[in-house]
Amino acid sequence: MITIDYIIVFVFLIGMFYVGSIFYKWVGSSDDFYLAGRQLTPFILAAVLAATNVNLYSFVGQAGIAYKEGIQIIWQTWTGNMAMVISGLFVIPIFRRLRIRTIPEFLEKRYSKGVRTFVAFIWILRLTFWLGVVLYTAVIAAQTISGLTSFTAWVLIFSVVVIIYTILGGMWSVAFTDVIQFVLMLGGALILLPLAMSAVGWFPGMQANLPEGALTLVKETGTYNWKFILAIFLLGIEWACVDQGLLQRAFGAESTRSVAKGLVLAGIITTPFALLWNLPGLAARILYPDLANADSAVPILIANLIPNIVLGLVVVGLLSSQLSTISGNLNGVATIFASDVYENVINRKATDKDVLKIARIITLLTGIGMVLFAYLVPILGGAVNAYLTIIAIMDMPLFVISIIYGLLWKRVNWQGAVTGYILGAISGIIGQFLFKMDFNVTTFITAGTTLIVTPIISLLTREESNEKIEAIWKARIISDEEIVNNNVYNIFPKTISGKLSLAVFLLGLIIFLVGVFMGSSGSSIASVIAVTGMVIYFIGGLFRAYTN
Amino acid sequence: MYFDWITWSIWLVGFIIMIIWILVPAREFRRLLQKRRSEQSELNK
Repeated sequence: MITIDYIIVFVFLIGMFYVGSIFYKWVGSSDDFYLAGRQLTPFILAAVLAATNVNLYSFVGQAGIAYKEGIQIIWQTWTGNMAMVISGLFVIPIFRRLRIRTIPEFLEKRYSKGVRTFVAFIWILRLTFWLGVVLYTAVIAAQTISGLTSFTAWVLIFSVVVIIYTILGGMWSVAFTDVIQFVLMLGGALILLPLAMSAVGWFPGMQANLPEGALTLVKETGTYNWKFILAIFLLGIEWACVDQGLLQRAFGAESTRSVAKGLVLAGIITTPFALLWNLPGLAARILYPDLANADSAVPILIANLIPNIVLGLVVVGLLSSQLSTISGNLNGVATIFASDVYENVINRKATDKDVLKIARIITLLTGIGMVLFAYLVPILGGAVNAYLTIIAIMDMPLFVISIIYGLLWKRVNWQGAVTGYILGAISGIIGQFLFKMDFNVTTFITAGTTLIVTPIISLLTREESNEKIEAIWKARIISDEEIVNNNVYNIFPKTISGKLSLAVFLLGLIIFLVGVFMGSSGSSIASVIAVTGMVIYFIGGLFRAYTN
Repeated sequence: MYFDWITWSIWLVGFIIMIIWILVPAREFRRLLQKRRSEQSELNK
Protein backbone atom coordinates (compact mmCIF):
# COMPACT_ATOMS: atom_id res chain seq x y z
CA MET A 1 0.00 0.00 0.00
CA ILE A 2 1.20 3.52 -0.78
CA THR A 3 0.39 6.85 0.86
CA ILE A 4 -2.76 7.47 -1.19
CA ASP A 5 -4.17 4.08 -0.07
CA TYR A 6 -3.60 4.98 3.58
CA ILE A 7 -5.29 8.35 2.98
CA ILE A 8 -8.34 6.54 1.53
CA VAL A 9 -8.48 4.27 4.61
CA PHE A 10 -8.05 7.27 6.94
CA VAL A 11 -10.83 9.24 5.21
CA PHE A 12 -13.09 6.18 5.49
CA LEU A 13 -12.44 5.88 9.25
CA ILE A 14 -13.07 9.61 9.80
CA GLY A 15 -16.27 9.31 7.75
CA MET A 16 -17.46 6.32 9.79
CA PHE A 17 -16.67 8.17 13.02
CA TYR A 18 -18.68 11.17 11.83
CA VAL A 19 -21.78 9.34 10.58
CA GLY A 20 -21.68 6.95 13.54
CA SER A 21 -21.50 9.66 16.17
CA ILE A 22 -24.23 11.95 14.77
CA PHE A 23 -26.74 9.37 16.02
CA TYR A 24 -25.79 10.18 19.62
CA LYS A 25 -28.78 12.54 19.69
CA TRP A 26 -31.12 9.77 18.53
CA VAL A 27 -30.54 7.69 21.67
CA GLY A 28 -33.08 8.85 24.22
CA SER A 29 -33.91 5.52 25.86
CA SER A 30 -32.40 2.08 26.34
CA ASP A 31 -34.68 0.73 23.59
CA ASP A 32 -33.11 3.25 21.20
CA PHE A 33 -29.66 1.99 22.22
CA TYR A 34 -30.50 -1.72 21.94
CA LEU A 35 -32.99 -1.82 19.08
CA ALA A 36 -32.96 1.53 17.24
CA GLY A 37 -36.36 2.20 18.80
CA ARG A 38 -37.77 -0.80 16.87
CA GLN A 39 -37.97 1.26 13.68
CA LEU A 40 -35.76 -0.70 11.25
CA THR A 41 -37.34 -1.21 7.82
CA PRO A 42 -36.89 -4.43 5.77
CA PHE A 43 -34.14 -3.19 3.42
CA ILE A 44 -32.17 -1.55 6.24
CA LEU A 45 -32.57 -4.71 8.34
CA ALA A 46 -31.39 -6.91 5.43
CA ALA A 47 -28.23 -4.82 4.92
CA VAL A 48 -27.54 -4.80 8.67
CA LEU A 49 -27.92 -8.59 8.89
CA ALA A 50 -25.77 -9.18 5.81
CA ALA A 51 -23.08 -6.80 7.09
CA THR A 52 -23.06 -8.47 10.52
CA ASN A 53 -22.83 -11.97 9.03
CA VAL A 54 -20.07 -11.25 6.51
CA ASN A 55 -16.70 -10.38 8.00
CA LEU A 56 -13.05 -10.70 7.16
CA TYR A 57 -13.22 -14.35 8.19
CA SER A 58 -15.33 -14.92 5.07
CA PHE A 59 -12.64 -13.46 2.81
CA VAL A 60 -9.82 -15.16 4.71
CA GLY A 61 -11.05 -18.38 6.36
CA GLN A 62 -13.81 -19.55 4.03
CA ALA A 63 -11.92 -18.47 0.90
CA GLY A 64 -8.88 -20.25 2.38
CA ILE A 65 -10.84 -23.50 2.61
CA ALA A 66 -12.03 -22.98 -1.00
CA TYR A 67 -8.34 -22.55 -1.93
CA LYS A 68 -7.42 -25.83 -0.24
CA GLU A 69 -10.48 -28.05 -0.77
CA GLY A 70 -12.67 -26.53 -3.50
CA ILE A 71 -15.89 -24.55 -3.91
CA GLN A 72 -18.04 -26.86 -1.69
CA ILE A 73 -17.36 -24.79 1.46
CA ILE A 74 -19.65 -22.11 -0.04
CA TRP A 75 -22.57 -24.18 1.27
CA GLN A 76 -21.61 -23.00 4.76
CA THR A 77 -22.83 -19.54 3.72
CA TRP A 78 -25.56 -20.68 1.32
CA THR A 79 -27.28 -23.04 3.79
CA GLY A 80 -26.91 -20.34 6.47
CA ASN A 81 -28.79 -18.02 4.12
CA MET A 82 -31.46 -20.67 3.56
CA ALA A 83 -31.73 -21.08 7.33
CA MET A 84 -32.31 -17.33 7.75
CA VAL A 85 -35.37 -17.69 5.50
CA ILE A 86 -36.75 -20.49 7.71
CA SER A 87 -36.18 -18.58 10.95
CA GLY A 88 -37.45 -15.34 9.38
CA LEU A 89 -40.70 -16.87 8.17
CA PHE A 90 -41.52 -19.22 11.05
CA VAL A 91 -39.57 -18.55 14.28
CA ILE A 92 -38.32 -15.00 14.85
CA PRO A 93 -41.73 -13.35 14.16
CA ILE A 94 -42.93 -15.09 17.36
CA PHE A 95 -40.05 -13.55 19.35
CA ARG A 96 -40.69 -10.12 17.81
CA ARG A 97 -44.33 -10.29 18.97
CA LEU A 98 -43.15 -10.85 22.56
CA ARG A 99 -41.16 -7.57 22.26
CA ILE A 100 -38.10 -9.16 23.88
CA ARG A 101 -34.52 -7.92 23.45
CA THR A 102 -32.49 -11.11 23.94
CA ILE A 103 -32.85 -14.89 23.86
CA PRO A 104 -32.10 -15.11 27.63
CA GLU A 105 -35.11 -12.83 28.18
CA PHE A 106 -37.27 -15.35 26.30
CA LEU A 107 -35.87 -18.14 28.47
CA GLU A 108 -37.08 -16.34 31.60
CA LYS A 109 -40.57 -15.96 30.12
CA ARG A 110 -40.61 -19.62 29.16
CA TYR A 111 -38.69 -21.25 32.04
CA SER A 112 -37.16 -19.28 34.91
CA LYS A 113 -34.94 -16.37 35.90
CA GLY A 114 -32.03 -18.72 36.66
CA VAL A 115 -31.98 -20.07 33.11
CA ARG A 116 -31.94 -16.49 31.81
CA THR A 117 -28.93 -15.45 33.91
CA PHE A 118 -26.99 -18.65 33.17
CA VAL A 119 -27.39 -18.39 29.38
CA ALA A 120 -26.71 -14.63 29.48
CA PHE A 121 -23.29 -15.18 31.09
CA ILE A 122 -22.39 -17.85 28.55
CA TRP A 123 -23.28 -15.51 25.67
CA ILE A 124 -21.33 -12.55 27.12
CA LEU A 125 -18.19 -14.70 27.41
CA ARG A 126 -18.54 -16.35 24.03
CA LEU A 127 -19.25 -13.19 22.03
CA THR A 128 -16.40 -11.23 23.61
CA PHE A 129 -13.91 -14.03 23.00
CA TRP A 130 -15.20 -14.70 19.50
CA LEU A 131 -14.79 -11.00 18.65
CA GLY A 132 -11.16 -11.26 19.80
CA VAL A 133 -10.52 -14.28 17.57
CA VAL A 134 -12.11 -12.58 14.55
CA LEU A 135 -10.10 -9.40 15.23
CA TYR A 136 -6.88 -11.45 15.35
CA THR A 137 -7.73 -13.08 11.98
CA ALA A 138 -8.50 -9.68 10.48
CA VAL A 139 -5.22 -8.15 11.69
CA ILE A 140 -3.18 -11.02 10.21
CA ALA A 141 -4.95 -10.58 6.85
CA ALA A 142 -4.50 -6.80 6.91
CA GLN A 143 -0.76 -7.20 7.58
CA THR A 144 -0.42 -9.46 4.52
CA ILE A 145 -2.39 -7.13 2.23
CA SER A 146 -0.89 -3.81 3.27
CA GLY A 147 2.72 -4.49 4.17
CA LEU A 148 2.13 -2.49 7.39
CA THR A 149 3.25 -5.15 9.85
CA SER A 150 2.54 -3.51 13.22
CA PHE A 151 -0.01 -5.71 15.02
CA THR A 152 -0.99 -2.89 17.39
CA ALA A 153 -1.49 -0.36 14.57
CA TRP A 154 -4.03 -2.63 12.87
CA VAL A 155 -5.75 -3.49 16.17
CA LEU A 156 -6.26 0.25 16.73
CA ILE A 157 -7.48 0.81 13.15
CA PHE A 158 -10.02 -1.99 13.51
CA SER A 159 -11.28 -1.18 16.99
CA VAL A 160 -11.00 2.46 18.16
CA VAL A 161 -13.45 4.16 15.80
CA VAL A 162 -16.01 1.37 15.90
CA ILE A 163 -16.00 1.19 19.72
CA ILE A 164 -16.53 4.96 20.00
CA TYR A 165 -19.46 5.20 17.60
CA THR A 166 -21.12 2.09 19.02
CA ILE A 167 -20.92 3.62 22.52
CA LEU A 168 -22.35 6.93 21.33
CA GLY A 169 -25.17 5.90 19.01
CA GLY A 170 -25.91 2.30 19.99
CA MET A 171 -28.05 0.39 17.52
CA TRP A 172 -28.88 3.54 15.53
CA SER A 173 -25.19 4.02 14.70
CA VAL A 174 -24.76 0.30 14.07
CA ALA A 175 -27.70 0.27 11.64
CA PHE A 176 -26.65 3.34 9.66
CA THR A 177 -22.96 2.50 9.41
CA ASP A 178 -23.80 -1.15 8.60
CA VAL A 179 -25.80 -0.10 5.53
CA ILE A 180 -22.90 2.05 4.27
CA GLN A 181 -20.39 -0.69 5.09
CA PHE A 182 -22.49 -3.35 3.32
CA VAL A 183 -22.38 -1.29 0.11
CA LEU A 184 -18.62 -0.64 0.50
CA MET A 185 -17.71 -4.29 1.09
CA LEU A 186 -19.87 -5.38 -1.83
CA GLY A 187 -18.12 -2.72 -3.95
CA GLY A 188 -14.69 -3.96 -2.85
CA ALA A 189 -15.61 -7.55 -3.71
CA LEU A 190 -16.93 -6.44 -7.13
CA ILE A 191 -13.52 -4.90 -7.89
CA LEU A 192 -11.73 -8.09 -6.80
CA LEU A 193 -13.76 -10.66 -8.80
CA PRO A 194 -12.99 -9.61 -12.42
CA LEU A 195 -9.32 -8.95 -11.59
CA ALA A 196 -8.95 -12.41 -10.02
CA MET A 197 -10.82 -14.16 -12.84
CA SER A 198 -8.91 -12.42 -15.65
CA ALA A 199 -5.61 -13.39 -14.00
CA VAL A 200 -6.46 -17.10 -14.38
CA GLY A 201 -8.01 -16.92 -17.87
CA TRP A 202 -11.62 -16.46 -16.71
CA PHE A 203 -13.90 -19.44 -16.10
CA PRO A 204 -12.51 -21.76 -18.82
CA GLY A 205 -9.01 -21.14 -17.46
CA MET A 206 -10.24 -21.96 -13.99
CA GLN A 207 -11.87 -25.22 -15.14
CA ALA A 208 -8.74 -26.27 -17.02
CA ASN A 209 -6.25 -25.54 -14.24
CA LEU A 210 -8.01 -26.54 -11.02
CA PRO A 211 -7.82 -30.09 -9.62
CA GLU A 212 -10.73 -32.31 -10.65
CA GLY A 213 -13.86 -31.72 -8.57
CA ALA A 214 -12.75 -28.34 -7.20
CA LEU A 215 -15.70 -26.67 -8.96
CA THR A 216 -18.27 -29.42 -8.20
CA LEU A 217 -20.76 -28.00 -5.71
CA VAL A 218 -22.21 -31.33 -4.46
CA LYS A 219 -19.58 -34.05 -4.16
CA GLU A 220 -19.79 -37.72 -3.26
CA THR A 221 -16.47 -37.83 -1.41
CA GLY A 222 -14.03 -35.48 0.32
CA THR A 223 -14.24 -33.43 3.52
CA TYR A 224 -17.02 -31.19 2.26
CA ASN A 225 -19.24 -33.79 0.59
CA TRP A 226 -23.05 -34.10 0.42
CA LYS A 227 -23.25 -35.15 4.10
CA PHE A 228 -21.46 -31.95 5.09
CA ILE A 229 -24.14 -29.92 3.26
CA LEU A 230 -26.94 -31.60 5.24
CA ALA A 231 -25.12 -31.26 8.58
CA ILE A 232 -24.20 -27.61 8.02
CA PHE A 233 -27.80 -26.87 6.96
CA LEU A 234 -29.10 -28.23 10.29
CA LEU A 235 -26.43 -26.28 12.18
CA GLY A 236 -27.40 -23.20 10.16
CA ILE A 237 -31.04 -23.51 11.23
CA GLU A 238 -29.91 -23.71 14.86
CA TRP A 239 -27.67 -20.63 14.37
CA ALA A 240 -30.38 -18.60 12.63
CA CYS A 241 -32.81 -19.24 15.50
CA VAL A 242 -30.61 -18.53 18.56
CA ASP A 243 -27.67 -16.31 17.54
CA GLN A 244 -27.88 -13.10 19.57
CA GLY A 245 -25.97 -11.08 16.95
CA LEU A 246 -28.61 -11.97 14.38
CA LEU A 247 -31.72 -11.98 16.57
CA GLN A 248 -31.15 -8.60 18.16
CA ARG A 249 -31.09 -6.94 14.72
CA ALA A 250 -34.37 -8.68 13.91
CA PHE A 251 -35.93 -7.53 17.19
CA GLY A 252 -35.27 -3.95 16.03
CA ALA A 253 -37.63 -4.39 13.06
CA GLU A 254 -40.58 -2.00 12.82
CA SER A 255 -43.14 -4.85 12.65
CA THR A 256 -43.51 -8.62 12.68
CA ARG A 257 -43.84 -8.68 8.90
CA SER A 258 -40.67 -6.58 8.52
CA VAL A 259 -38.79 -9.31 10.41
CA ALA A 260 -39.84 -11.85 7.79
CA LYS A 261 -39.05 -9.54 4.87
CA GLY A 262 -35.69 -8.43 6.30
CA LEU A 263 -34.40 -11.93 7.03
CA VAL A 264 -35.49 -13.34 3.66
CA LEU A 265 -33.89 -10.41 1.81
CA ALA A 266 -30.68 -10.80 3.87
CA GLY A 267 -30.47 -14.48 2.90
CA ILE A 268 -31.00 -13.70 -0.77
CA ILE A 269 -28.44 -10.87 -1.08
CA THR A 270 -25.69 -12.77 0.74
CA THR A 271 -26.00 -15.74 -1.66
CA PRO A 272 -24.39 -14.24 -4.82
CA PHE A 273 -22.05 -12.28 -2.50
CA ALA A 274 -20.53 -15.57 -1.27
CA LEU A 275 -19.25 -16.26 -4.81
CA LEU A 276 -17.35 -12.96 -4.74
CA TRP A 277 -14.92 -14.21 -2.09
CA ASN A 278 -14.89 -17.96 -2.85
CA LEU A 279 -14.03 -17.62 -6.56
CA PRO A 280 -10.94 -15.46 -5.78
CA GLY A 281 -9.95 -18.21 -3.30
CA LEU A 282 -10.03 -20.71 -6.18
CA ALA A 283 -8.15 -18.31 -8.46
CA ALA A 284 -5.41 -18.07 -5.82
CA ARG A 285 -5.11 -21.88 -5.99
CA ILE A 286 -4.01 -21.58 -9.64
CA LEU A 287 -1.79 -18.52 -9.16
CA TYR A 288 -0.10 -19.56 -5.88
CA PRO A 289 -0.55 -23.34 -5.57
CA ASP A 290 1.96 -24.02 -2.78
CA LEU A 291 1.02 -21.69 0.07
CA ALA A 292 1.74 -23.15 3.51
CA ASN A 293 -1.13 -21.20 5.07
CA ALA A 294 -4.38 -21.32 3.07
CA ASP A 295 -5.78 -18.39 5.06
CA SER A 296 -3.26 -16.10 3.37
CA ALA A 297 -4.47 -17.03 -0.16
CA VAL A 298 -6.88 -14.16 -0.80
CA PRO A 299 -4.82 -11.54 1.11
CA ILE A 300 -1.78 -12.44 -1.07
CA LEU A 301 -3.97 -12.35 -4.19
CA ILE A 302 -5.23 -8.87 -3.25
CA ALA A 303 -1.73 -7.59 -2.44
CA ASN A 304 -0.35 -8.81 -5.80
CA LEU A 305 -3.23 -8.27 -8.22
CA ILE A 306 -4.84 -5.01 -7.21
CA PRO A 307 -3.24 -1.75 -8.33
CA ASN A 308 -2.65 1.05 -5.84
CA ILE A 309 -5.49 3.54 -5.22
CA VAL A 310 -7.93 0.75 -6.14
CA LEU A 311 -6.23 -1.25 -3.37
CA GLY A 312 -7.23 1.46 -0.89
CA LEU A 313 -10.88 1.02 -1.94
CA VAL A 314 -10.71 -2.78 -1.59
CA VAL A 315 -9.11 -2.46 1.86
CA VAL A 316 -11.94 -0.09 2.83
CA GLY A 317 -14.38 -2.82 1.72
CA LEU A 318 -12.57 -5.43 3.83
CA LEU A 319 -12.42 -3.04 6.81
CA SER A 320 -16.15 -2.45 6.39
CA SER A 321 -16.90 -6.15 6.59
CA GLN A 322 -15.02 -6.31 9.89
CA LEU A 323 -16.28 -3.11 11.52
CA SER A 324 -19.92 -4.02 10.92
CA THR A 325 -19.44 -7.39 12.61
CA ILE A 326 -17.65 -5.82 15.58
CA SER A 327 -20.24 -3.06 16.09
CA GLY A 328 -23.21 -5.44 15.94
CA ASN A 329 -21.74 -7.88 18.43
CA LEU A 330 -20.47 -5.17 20.82
CA ASN A 331 -24.02 -3.87 20.92
CA GLY A 332 -25.26 -7.45 21.46
CA VAL A 333 -23.03 -8.03 24.49
CA ALA A 334 -24.00 -4.64 25.98
CA THR A 335 -27.67 -5.47 25.56
CA ILE A 336 -27.37 -8.89 27.20
CA PHE A 337 -25.42 -7.51 30.16
CA ALA A 338 -27.55 -4.41 30.72
CA SER A 339 -30.87 -6.16 30.15
CA ASP A 340 -30.33 -9.71 31.44
CA VAL A 341 -27.75 -9.19 34.19
CA TYR A 342 -27.79 -5.57 35.40
CA GLU A 343 -31.52 -4.81 35.22
CA ASN A 344 -32.54 -8.34 36.11
CA VAL A 345 -30.09 -9.32 38.87
CA ILE A 346 -27.80 -6.51 40.05
CA ASN A 347 -30.08 -3.46 40.25
CA ARG A 348 -33.76 -4.20 39.82
CA LYS A 349 -34.75 -0.62 40.63
CA ALA A 350 -32.54 0.84 37.91
CA THR A 351 -33.97 3.73 35.94
CA ASP A 352 -33.77 3.77 32.15
CA LYS A 353 -30.97 6.35 32.42
CA ASP A 354 -28.94 4.01 34.68
CA VAL A 355 -29.40 1.13 32.24
CA LEU A 356 -28.33 3.27 29.29
CA LYS A 357 -25.18 4.35 31.15
CA ILE A 358 -24.33 0.73 32.03
CA ALA A 359 -24.92 -0.37 28.41
CA ARG A 360 -22.39 2.23 27.23
CA ILE A 361 -19.82 1.24 29.87
CA ILE A 362 -20.23 -2.44 28.94
CA THR A 363 -19.76 -1.61 25.25
CA LEU A 364 -16.42 -0.01 26.16
CA LEU A 365 -15.36 -2.91 28.42
CA THR A 366 -16.34 -5.49 25.78
CA GLY A 367 -14.29 -3.57 23.21
CA ILE A 368 -11.28 -3.64 25.56
CA GLY A 369 -11.91 -7.37 26.21
CA MET A 370 -11.98 -8.02 22.45
CA VAL A 371 -8.60 -6.30 22.01
CA LEU A 372 -7.04 -8.22 24.92
CA PHE A 373 -8.32 -11.54 23.55
CA ALA A 374 -6.86 -10.68 20.13
CA TYR A 375 -3.43 -10.40 21.78
CA LEU A 376 -4.01 -13.67 23.67
CA VAL A 377 -4.93 -15.76 20.59
CA PRO A 378 -1.34 -16.54 19.46
CA ILE A 379 -0.33 -17.25 23.09
CA LEU A 380 -3.22 -19.67 23.69
CA GLY A 381 -2.65 -21.58 20.43
CA GLY A 382 -4.69 -24.79 20.33
CA ALA A 383 -6.73 -23.73 23.37
CA VAL A 384 -8.55 -21.24 21.15
CA ASN A 385 -9.90 -24.01 18.95
CA ALA A 386 -10.93 -26.04 21.98
CA TYR A 387 -12.79 -23.06 23.44
CA LEU A 388 -14.56 -22.27 20.15
CA THR A 389 -15.55 -25.93 19.82
CA ILE A 390 -17.02 -26.02 23.34
CA ILE A 391 -19.17 -22.94 22.76
CA ALA A 392 -20.30 -24.33 19.41
CA ILE A 393 -21.30 -27.56 21.19
CA MET A 394 -23.37 -25.57 23.69
CA ASP A 395 -25.45 -23.96 20.93
CA MET A 396 -27.38 -27.08 20.03
CA PRO A 397 -28.91 -27.79 23.47
CA LEU A 398 -29.90 -24.10 23.64
CA PHE A 399 -31.71 -24.48 20.31
CA VAL A 400 -33.51 -27.61 21.53
CA ILE A 401 -34.78 -26.07 24.78
CA SER A 402 -35.62 -22.63 23.40
CA ILE A 403 -37.00 -23.39 19.94
CA ILE A 404 -38.06 -27.05 19.71
CA TYR A 405 -39.47 -27.54 23.23
CA GLY A 406 -39.76 -23.83 24.10
CA LEU A 407 -42.21 -23.09 21.30
CA LEU A 408 -43.78 -26.49 20.62
CA TRP A 409 -44.50 -28.25 23.94
CA LYS A 410 -45.89 -26.53 27.04
CA ARG A 411 -45.26 -29.47 29.36
CA VAL A 412 -41.48 -28.97 29.32
CA ASN A 413 -40.47 -27.05 32.47
CA TRP A 414 -37.31 -25.36 33.71
CA GLN A 415 -36.04 -28.47 35.52
CA GLY A 416 -36.15 -30.44 32.25
CA ALA A 417 -34.65 -27.58 30.25
CA VAL A 418 -31.68 -27.04 32.60
CA THR A 419 -30.93 -30.77 32.95
CA GLY A 420 -31.25 -31.32 29.19
CA TYR A 421 -29.04 -28.32 28.43
CA ILE A 422 -26.25 -29.35 30.82
CA LEU A 423 -26.27 -33.09 30.01
CA GLY A 424 -26.47 -32.32 26.28
CA ALA A 425 -23.43 -30.05 26.50
CA ILE A 426 -21.48 -32.58 28.62
CA SER A 427 -22.25 -35.45 26.20
CA GLY A 428 -21.01 -33.30 23.32
CA ILE A 429 -17.81 -32.31 25.11
CA ILE A 430 -17.10 -35.98 26.04
CA GLY A 431 -17.75 -37.11 22.44
CA GLN A 432 -15.57 -34.38 20.99
CA PHE A 433 -12.58 -34.46 23.31
CA LEU A 434 -12.57 -37.97 24.82
CA PHE A 435 -13.68 -40.01 21.81
CA LYS A 436 -12.33 -37.55 19.19
CA MET A 437 -15.54 -37.69 17.18
CA ASP A 438 -16.20 -35.57 14.11
CA PHE A 439 -17.88 -32.26 15.00
CA ASN A 440 -20.97 -33.07 12.90
CA VAL A 441 -21.43 -36.35 14.81
CA THR A 442 -20.96 -34.55 18.13
CA THR A 443 -23.73 -32.13 17.18
CA PHE A 444 -26.21 -34.96 16.64
CA ILE A 445 -25.21 -36.61 19.95
CA THR A 446 -25.69 -33.31 21.79
CA ALA A 447 -29.07 -32.69 20.18
CA GLY A 448 -30.18 -36.29 20.82
CA THR A 449 -29.22 -36.16 24.51
CA THR A 450 -31.09 -32.90 25.08
CA LEU A 451 -34.10 -34.10 23.07
CA ILE A 452 -34.39 -37.25 25.25
CA VAL A 453 -33.41 -35.93 28.71
CA THR A 454 -35.50 -32.74 28.69
CA PRO A 455 -38.98 -34.34 28.38
CA ILE A 456 -38.14 -37.20 30.81
CA ILE A 457 -37.08 -34.81 33.60
CA SER A 458 -40.03 -32.51 32.80
CA LEU A 459 -42.53 -35.37 33.11
CA LEU A 460 -40.95 -36.46 36.42
CA THR A 461 -41.28 -32.96 37.90
CA ARG A 462 -44.18 -30.58 38.48
CA GLU A 463 -46.04 -29.09 35.54
CA GLU A 464 -45.82 -25.33 35.30
CA SER A 465 -48.47 -23.24 33.66
CA ASN A 466 -48.64 -19.52 34.01
CA GLU A 467 -49.57 -16.34 32.20
CA LYS A 468 -46.10 -15.98 30.69
CA ILE A 469 -46.32 -19.34 28.90
CA GLU A 470 -49.84 -18.48 27.73
CA ALA A 471 -48.48 -15.20 26.31
CA ILE A 472 -45.87 -17.16 24.33
CA TRP A 473 -48.53 -19.49 22.96
CA LYS A 474 -50.64 -16.49 21.91
CA ALA A 475 -47.60 -14.96 20.17
CA ARG A 476 -47.42 -18.02 17.93
CA ILE A 477 -50.59 -16.71 16.25
CA ILE A 478 -50.82 -12.92 16.57
CA SER A 479 -49.98 -9.88 18.73
CA ASP A 480 -52.04 -6.89 19.87
CA GLU A 481 -49.48 -4.62 18.18
CA GLU A 482 -50.30 -6.15 14.78
CA ILE A 483 -54.06 -5.79 15.33
CA VAL A 484 -53.74 -2.13 16.36
CA ASN A 485 -51.49 -1.32 13.39
CA ASN A 486 -53.63 -3.44 11.05
CA ASN A 487 -50.49 -5.19 9.80
CA VAL A 488 -51.00 -8.86 10.63
CA TYR A 489 -48.42 -11.46 9.58
CA ASN A 490 -49.74 -15.02 9.47
CA ILE A 491 -47.01 -17.61 9.98
CA PHE A 492 -49.27 -20.09 8.21
CA PRO A 493 -50.78 -18.26 5.24
CA LYS A 494 -54.50 -17.66 4.80
CA THR A 495 -54.74 -16.28 1.25
CA ILE A 496 -54.31 -18.22 -2.00
CA SER A 497 -51.18 -16.25 -2.95
CA GLY A 498 -49.69 -16.90 0.50
CA LYS A 499 -50.40 -20.63 0.29
CA LEU A 500 -49.04 -20.79 -3.25
CA SER A 501 -45.79 -19.07 -2.24
CA LEU A 502 -45.40 -21.45 0.72
CA ALA A 503 -45.88 -24.37 -1.71
CA VAL A 504 -43.16 -22.97 -4.01
CA PHE A 505 -40.88 -22.53 -0.98
CA LEU A 506 -41.42 -26.17 0.10
CA LEU A 507 -41.00 -27.41 -3.49
CA GLY A 508 -37.65 -25.60 -3.65
CA LEU A 509 -36.59 -27.20 -0.37
CA ILE A 510 -37.49 -30.68 -1.67
CA ILE A 511 -35.62 -30.15 -4.97
CA PHE A 512 -32.59 -28.86 -3.03
CA LEU A 513 -32.60 -31.95 -0.77
CA VAL A 514 -33.04 -34.28 -3.77
CA GLY A 515 -30.01 -32.63 -5.41
CA VAL A 516 -27.92 -33.06 -2.26
CA PHE A 517 -28.91 -36.74 -1.89
CA MET A 518 -28.11 -37.33 -5.59
CA GLY A 519 -24.58 -36.26 -4.67
CA SER A 520 -24.31 -39.46 -2.61
CA SER A 521 -24.13 -41.49 -5.83
CA GLY A 522 -21.76 -39.08 -7.55
CA SER A 523 -24.45 -37.86 -9.98
CA SER A 524 -23.16 -35.29 -12.45
CA ILE A 525 -26.38 -33.22 -12.28
CA ALA A 526 -26.62 -33.17 -8.45
CA SER A 527 -25.07 -29.69 -8.20
CA VAL A 528 -27.40 -28.15 -10.81
CA ILE A 529 -30.48 -29.63 -9.12
CA ALA A 530 -29.41 -28.51 -5.62
CA VAL A 531 -28.72 -24.94 -6.78
CA THR A 532 -32.00 -24.83 -8.78
CA GLY A 533 -33.85 -25.98 -5.67
CA MET A 534 -32.14 -23.27 -3.62
CA VAL A 535 -33.16 -20.55 -6.11
CA ILE A 536 -36.81 -21.75 -6.16
CA TYR A 537 -36.72 -21.88 -2.34
CA PHE A 538 -35.58 -18.24 -2.15
CA ILE A 539 -38.23 -17.10 -4.66
CA GLY A 540 -40.96 -18.90 -2.68
CA GLY A 541 -39.63 -17.45 0.60
CA LEU A 542 -39.58 -13.91 -0.81
CA PHE A 543 -43.18 -14.09 -2.04
CA ARG A 544 -44.21 -15.70 1.25
CA ALA A 545 -42.79 -12.74 3.23
CA TYR A 546 -44.76 -10.30 1.07
CA THR A 547 -48.10 -12.19 1.04
CA ASN A 548 -50.63 -13.05 3.74
CA MET B 1 -11.17 -10.21 -26.25
CA TYR B 2 -12.83 -13.11 -24.47
CA PHE B 3 -16.12 -12.33 -22.70
CA ASP B 4 -16.83 -14.59 -19.71
CA TRP B 5 -20.60 -14.75 -19.31
CA ILE B 6 -20.48 -16.61 -16.00
CA THR B 7 -18.19 -14.15 -14.22
CA TRP B 8 -19.95 -11.06 -15.54
CA SER B 9 -23.42 -12.47 -14.73
CA ILE B 10 -22.34 -12.95 -11.10
CA TRP B 11 -20.79 -9.47 -11.18
CA LEU B 12 -23.97 -7.90 -12.59
CA VAL B 13 -26.18 -9.51 -9.91
CA GLY B 14 -23.83 -8.16 -7.24
CA PHE B 15 -23.82 -4.72 -8.87
CA ILE B 16 -27.63 -4.58 -9.06
CA ILE B 17 -27.87 -5.54 -5.36
CA MET B 18 -25.38 -2.76 -4.55
CA ILE B 19 -27.40 -0.13 -6.44
CA ILE B 20 -30.70 -1.24 -4.82
CA TRP B 21 -29.09 -1.14 -1.38
CA ILE B 22 -27.82 2.39 -2.00
CA LEU B 23 -31.17 3.76 -3.19
CA VAL B 24 -33.78 2.04 -0.98
CA PRO B 25 -32.14 2.39 2.48
CA ALA B 26 -31.30 6.05 1.64
CA ARG B 27 -35.01 6.67 1.05
CA GLU B 28 -35.97 4.78 4.21
CA PHE B 29 -33.44 6.66 6.37
CA ARG B 30 -34.67 9.97 4.95
CA ARG B 31 -38.22 8.98 5.92
CA LEU B 32 -37.09 8.05 9.45
CA LEU B 33 -35.29 11.40 9.75
CA GLN B 34 -38.39 13.33 8.67
CA LYS B 35 -40.56 11.33 11.08
CA ARG B 36 -38.14 12.08 13.90
CA ARG B 37 -38.01 15.78 13.07
CA SER B 38 -41.80 16.04 13.05
CA GLU B 39 -41.94 14.21 16.41
CA GLN B 40 -39.35 16.62 17.84
CA SER B 41 -41.26 19.68 16.61
CA GLU B 42 -44.47 18.25 18.13
CA LEU B 43 -42.66 17.91 21.46
CA ASN B 44 -41.30 21.46 21.28
CA LYS B 45 -44.74 22.99 20.72
